[in-house]
Amino acid sequence: MKIIKQIFQMKIIRQIVFISALLLIWQSVVSTGNYSELLLPSLRSIWTALMNSVASGEMGKHTSYSFYLIGQALGIGVVLAFLLTALAMVSPWIADFMKTITTIFHPLPGVALLPIALLWFGIGEKSIIFILVHSIIWPLILNTYTGFQSVSRTQLEVGRNIGLRGLSLVSSVMVPSAFPYILTGFKIAWSNSWRSLVAAEMIFGASGGQGGLGWLIYQKRFFLETAYVFAALFVIIIVGIFIENVVFAQIERLTVQRWGMVIQKEK
Amino acid sequence: MANKVSVENLFVKFEGEHGDVQALDDVSFSMKEGEFLTILGPSGCGKSTLIRAIAGFQSPERGEIILGDKKVTEPGPDRIMVFQEFDQLFPWRTVIGNITYALKVSGVKKEKREERAMHYLEMVNLKDFARAFPHQLSGGMKQRAAIARSLALNPEILLMDEPFGSLDAQTRSILQSELVRIWQKVGSTIIFITHNIQEAILMGDRVMVMSTAPGKIKDIIDVSIDRPRLPETPKFMKLWHQLYNLLETKQFGENGSGNVLPGKD
Repeated sequence: MKIIKQIFQMKIIRQIVFISALLLIWQSVVSTGNYSELLLPSLRSIWTALMNSVASGEMGKHTSYSFYLIGQALGIGVVLAFLLTALAMVSPWIADFMKTITTIFHPLPGVALLPIALLWFGIGEKSIIFILVHSIIWPLILNTYTGFQSVSRTQLEVGRNIGLRGLSLVSSVMVPSAFPYILTGFKIAWSNSWRSLVAAEMIFGASGGQGGLGWLIYQKRFFLETAYVFAALFVIIIVGIFIENVVFAQIERLTVQRWGMVIQKEK
Repeated sequence: MANKVSVENLFVKFEGEHGDVQALDDVSFSMKEGEFLTILGPSGCGKSTLIRAIAGFQSPERGEIILGDKKVTEPGPDRIMVFQEFDQLFPWRTVIGNITYALKVSGVKKEKREERAMHYLEMVNLKDFARAFPHQLSGGMKQRAAIARSLALNPEILLMDEPFGSLDAQTRSILQSELVRIWQKVGSTIIFITHNIQEAILMGDRVMVMSTAPGKIKDIIDVSIDRPRLPETPKFMKLWHQLYNLLETKQFGENGSGNVLPGKD
């Protein structure tokens, strides 16, 4: 009895139990036969669809296209965000300007800009990247700037004391010192852009067809291949969990947790 | 022997909302090589401003600071500051990493950094914690590490701004005697700020007493007591009372509660 109790105290075991229960409920609803396979496919056909689309390279192609878009947007977003933040550190005027535009644009969902993006950049990668950059830079700027402002005065003075100046002071003291904030910025930027990406690709599926996971879902729905729709949703969830709970968690463990620099959460 | 440091007619003014504050008003003194000077004064007497001006963090309104034969204009590794704050170590580097990094910035060759860092960590009894990160250390250990880092840089002068001010009484007294032991071994020139009379007498060759608003030097007193100094001796007590009377006790009351007669705390 004691061993069973101990096993159930492990988080991972409990999670597996919960997920199995959900799958069981799903399968039992399907097996009543009351719902068409077109609306609610069985677990087996979703699994087959997933395996087929992986084997044919279709899933890989669309997933990597999504990553290709998000990668480009991240590159542009990071450069822009750091440039703007650096300028804001130089002049209080630019800082105020930047705070104002961040306040205006940060709450605006990327997808809301899609019609404008279509008008400005036409149907294509450029429009999606525009939206992704929008969903990346504001949280990144906001957090990096807050991080830079919270750099300990003592540590800055130690840096100057041992002979660091200008850019080397920024890269050797300010960036690592603000790293917990910068990392938070990246996490928000990632989750914003990943969500915007799928939505944007779906709308492009309606108007052109470029590829990507969102487009895959849209296309499969069009042909009523519902099992493939669920397979693509499954991949989106897995990618999300992987990036947030494996990649970011690992970076956190190797950096801020190891350094004892975890930001104290407000109670 | 020529003076190691000389401060000549130093004035520092802060502009505030309620008018300007004269933090330092015509401060002049000099130090010999290898001397241990303690600066004693109530909070707000400008003692921190003075040490920050010597470090190059605070530019004076008038007057100059000469180190060796050079005029001080900006911060530099020839004057290393040890702060009161426990966060003066970079938390993203290990204890030894903090030292080797500082050595790297000041141009010490790669092969020599590790060995030199270890040497000074051993001196402050922190060898076993070389690979630890700062957040794993106690307050006293962090201050030891900061002292090791500053010694490793081999500065012309060590500037210590109440480095033991945030420590508990026991750790503080251990670190006081260790710092004296290290100073006797290494022979560094040290300016040490404190508002604790006993600490000032225990450590300094001379004690400089400052007064508040405007910050001025009230007196500089030679401590002619043989080391190691014991607070219970008559000479020590006599000097303690002399310094106590020099300090403006009415202003000192605020944070001077730590100043009880030696042997009674």
